[in-house]
Amino acid sequence: MPGNPYLPLDVRVEKVTVENDAKDLKTFDLSFVDASARTAFEFIPGQFGFLSIIGTGEAPFGIASAPSEEFIKYTVKRVGGFTTALHELEPGTVIGMRGPWGNSYPLDLMQGKDVVIVSGGFSFTTLRSTIVHLLDPKRRPQFGKITCVYGARSAGELLYKDEIKAWESSSDIDLHLCVDKLGSDPWPRTEGLVPNVLKQVAPSSKNAIALVCGPPIMIRFTHPVLEALGFRPDDVFLSLENRMKCGIGKCGHCNLGSKYVCKDGPVFSYSQLRGLPAEY
Amino acid sequence: MTQRVITADGLAKLVTEWAKKGAVYAPVKAGSKDWTEFRRVTSLKETDFSRVNTKQSAKGLLFPQREVMLRFKDGKSEEPAAPEEQVILGIRPCDAAAIAFQAKFFTGQGQTDPYFKARLDRTTFIGFACNTPAETCFCTAVGGSPSGTRGLDLLLTDIGGKYLAEPVTDKGAALIADMPDPAIGDLERKLAEKCAEQMPQAIDTAALKRRLDSGFEHPVWDELNLACVNCGACTFLCPTCHCFDVTDEERKGRGARIRVWDSCQFCIYSQHASGHNPRQTARSRYRNRVMDKFKYTVDMVGELSCVGCGRCIIECPAGIDVRETVEVLTRQLPEAAEKK
Repeated sequence: MPGNPYLPLDVRVEKVTVENDAKDLKTFDLSFVDASARTAFEFIPGQFGFLSIIGTGEAPFGIASAPSEEFIKYTVKRVGGFTTALHELEPGTVIGMRGPWGNSYPLDLMQGKDVVIVSGGFSFTTLRSTIVHLLDPKRRPQFGKITCVYGARSAGELLYKDEIKAWESSSDIDLHLCVDKLGSDPWPRTEGLVPNVLKQVAPSSKNAIALVCGPPIMIRFTHPVLEALGFRPDDVFLSLENRMKCGIGKCGHCNLGSKYVCKDGPVFSYSQLRGLPAEY
Repeated sequence: MTQRVITADGLAKLVTEWAKKGAVYAPVKAGSKDWTEFRRVTSLKETDFSRVNTKQSAKGLLFPQREVMLRFKDGKSEEPAAPEEQVILGIRPCDAAAIAFQAKFFTGQGQTDPYFKARLDRTTFIGFACNTPAETCFCTAVGGSPSGTRGLDLLLTDIGGKYLAEPVTDKGAALIADMPDPAIGDLERKLAEKCAEQMPQAIDTAALKRRLDSGFEHPVWDELNLACVNCGACTFLCPTCHCFDVTDEERKGRGARIRVWDSCQFCIYSQHASGHNPRQTARSRYRNRVMDKFKYTVDMVGELSCVGCGRCIIECPAGIDVRETVEVLTRQLPEAAEKK
């Protein structure tokens, strides 16, 4: 069947990185077995793909790499049968991938504006993609100030540690890292929950767009803070993750009222979400 | 297109001919059971058109309850072979309209589902108009008709031992091109109209939609689902329900990626990997189903996803009647939007 959207393409696991102390978060760098497929795999930060292991199953994950990077990167938390099988993969193994699916963060709308990025836990993946994309020296001048508040339970749970340490000292991005409880580790230095830290950082809402991705509880407490800072519902974008099976708006699972997270999202503006059932 | 009359013998010959070229599916009495179901036949003798409708709709002939998406062996996977040509004979207008709805959904709305499309492209739909409605039929209330032609290639109406054949598509016209011209009397024309007269009045689905638009949080939902046991029978029997799960079946290196019908009435359907579930309560799942039928699909593809076949009413173990649900919602939900 030509162009079968359910057919995974072969990708090779190039590198596996353990991201956290709990060792339940791993990043997989993937390359296409058919190198020409990489050129055809055009995506925008915020989109997602399905990883597939024949005989085990498949599941959707946000793409953590930026479009300009050679490998397609996914960071996966081990929670069930399929993700456990992924975690057992050794470099060199060939698995399947299909996508990219979904819309993306509103890069066009962000042009010429300040960007505020708010993230908690391991949802930082597609926002890493976004930050790498925005910080590209060719692209960076197209955006105003970039502020990011990113938090996790503890220092050991923060993703992409080498990169975020580098970003902390970069003048291109104002990065605020925080943890729920300070440990013996001298890094990072801020204790507090993401919404509270965001309140202290208090980025300007003037000519600014906010991108939010995190667990439902973080989302719930972040919005009032953004609202108090003057962000309009049209200028706040959330990336959602509902259960899904197809990625292309057929299987029904991920609906929010009349919209599908897979096809109409996963990124929605807060004003869009206010008109939809809060079933996410 | 020219209508023809087909005698019972003529239809019998056609069925035998079609069966030589591909698969013919038609309602057949289900053994000793008191119902009919679509089965593969090779002659008209095997069929049984005495029931208004089959136990299950014909949707499984285009969207099988279990369908192989990929087969694999020793790490290599391949797509299944193309489906064979098939004729669905004796499908009722409600079920044909439901497949037309599914076609809009599976082949439009962005990506095309290649499995559904491959079957659709190889299917000929020969409908049977209804001369007598069942107690649970309400196609006329939701925009359908006992002699509706949507989704069909050819519509047959039983006019007493012979059939009036009305082509809907060129494909349908070609099927009966060799049949004699009819002498259609007024009596025959009126059969379908008579059936429609016995059926429920149209409901104002546009007004219902407006009520549902602002009725998501209304307390009416607290009671509507109380009898529901979340068995999902309504969704499996519904000819428009299209939800599926995808899963791998594997044994000793061989197996298949399959899709199977799924139901929004099941708790796990919307449950995230983290355990969080956006539709944790039976109330929210029941609301989702009703909203989907009468609002969500109207927003998505511009039409209701209820064709009035009545199967969910017949088979619900808790006796829930969607006509009553619609009536309660129309009565209790305010039409004006309640702004927060």
